[in-house]
Amino acid sequence: MTSTSLPDSLIATLPGTSYTDPAIFAQEQECIFETMWFCVARSSELTKPGAFRTVDVGRESILVTRARDNSIRAYFNVCRHRGARLCTEAAGEVKRAFQCPYHAWTYGLDGKLVAAPNLTKMPDVGRTEYGLTPVATREWLGYVWVCLAENPPSFEEDVIGEVVTRLGDAEAIERYGMESLSVGSRITYDVKANWKLIIENFMECYHCATIHPELTEVLPEFADGFAAQYYVGHGAEFGEEVQGFTVDGSAGLDRIPGVAEDQDRRYYAITVKPQVFINLVPDHVIFHRMYPVAVDRTIVECDWLYMPHVVDSGRDVSRSVELFDRVNRQDFDACERTQPGMSSRMYAKGGVLVPSEHHIGAFHDWVHERLGTHQSQ
Amino acid sequence: MIPACPLADLPRGEAFRLEIDPPVSVFHTEDGELFAIDDTCTHQDASLADGWVEGCWVECPLHASKFNLKTGAVDAPPAKRPVRTHEVLVEDGMIYVRLSAATPNLPPCVATKLAGVLA
Ligand code: FES
Ligand code: FES
Ligand SMILES: [Fe+2]
Repeated sequence: MTSTSLPDSLIATLPGTSYTDPAIFAQEQECIFETMWFCVARSSELTKPGAFRTVDVGRESILVTRARDNSIRAYFNVCRHRGARLCTEAAGEVKRAFQCPYHAWTYGLDGKLVAAPNLTKMPDVGRTEYGLTPVATREWLGYVWVCLAENPPSFEEDVIGEVVTRLGDAEAIERYGMESLSVGSRITYDVKANWKLIIENFMECYHCATIHPELTEVLPEFADGFAAQYYVGHGAEFGEEVQGFTVDGSAGLDRIPGVAEDQDRRYYAITVKPQVFINLVPDHVIFHRMYPVAVDRTIVECDWLYMPHVVDSGRDVSRSVELFDRVNRQDFDACERTQPGMSSRMYAKGGVLVPSEHHIGAFHDWVHERLGTHQSQ
Repeated sequence: MIPACPLADLPRGEAFRLEIDPPVSVFHTEDGELFAIDDTCTHQDASLADGWVEGCWVECPLHASKFNLKTGAVDAPPAKRPVRTHEVLVEDGMIYVRLSAATPNLPPCVATKLAGVLA
């Protein structure tokens, strides 16, 4: 095996096929996205009962909405009659019910079968039994997560636990009061790359000095190539001359009041597997979620969250947004540049990770573990 | 007179479906009024008791035609013909319905069944 002959400084990556083989992607959909907690929407997008969004989670289309009692609900977006897709729009609003466009089976916001042609002649058809099939939901940090597993794993361990592992405790993130922040900007990126390339990129900073000139200016320690996620509880410090987390280092927006002294003037990055990245700075939060659509394509939705009065008063957040928008584009360009190489004959056995990237090896172990595939090293 | 249900069991905004042939529904509006109309929409076989009451109109749950609870009139297609209205009485806390003698306007498949013809 080539991996055993690697010099001590290097460890192997996943093989190229892991990023190009549709069969492996299908396994990931089944064993990762359809099994774990998956973030689908900002709670505030579902403005009132009947507002909905449809999101692909793994191979399934999921309908997320708000019921009359204002609770968040999620269902398989599949009619119980003969399987027609219930809602085809990506987002919208219904007044009181979801109606299948095929034979008009009609479901309440609580999922119950409310009406159907000739339904009263079939009193043995249970309105709940033949209602929409529900999916587990959780709200945290102002976001909606769903889990398609029949027995969902512990949200506390899998989602909150990732944040605790990175920051030391959950209180550190709760100080940012994310659920009460407002979305100041949202940008959606269509990235022609495998979702794992995007995670791996987010996990390391070996590339920072090369492709992120603006970010390295604001966070000078990024130039040494060690990821912000390398040490528990560590946040990269702003440069001395830097006033705020903006594209030119100019002053940012109003600081989030809960942010502690030792969190001020620092940037924290957290990866919540399998598809969420959270970036914390004193005056805003940048929240990414990935929607993997194909082995070589991933939609990334990114929100910039500020204090509500900052957004409501129409303050100029453009320099603030531009910093991470540039970072995103620089990163996604790199991922897109990498994707074609994954199918090269030369990359069949994969590449190598340098020491400041070795923690990505743990991510690869995790992928193997989820898929039940054995280790190559 | 046909007994329907105790008034106490029919909160405002809800409907009670009388399982007679053809079925009749009693609606208790948000304003506290009681009305009885044929339960079956005149367009297709849908139960108006499953529909949505707004003021003195009930919206069919399937294709959104609305029927006036007082007059039985329909507001707009796809349903075209009115439903019958029936008299409602409350005695000793019990709701009763006196059925209209008119011929019901049933949707095609239900009308066929009632006529004893095989569809
Ligand atoms: S498939 Fe939805 S009503 Fe028939
Ligand atoms: S069934 Fe009532 S409008 Fe069509
Ligand atoms: Fe980057």
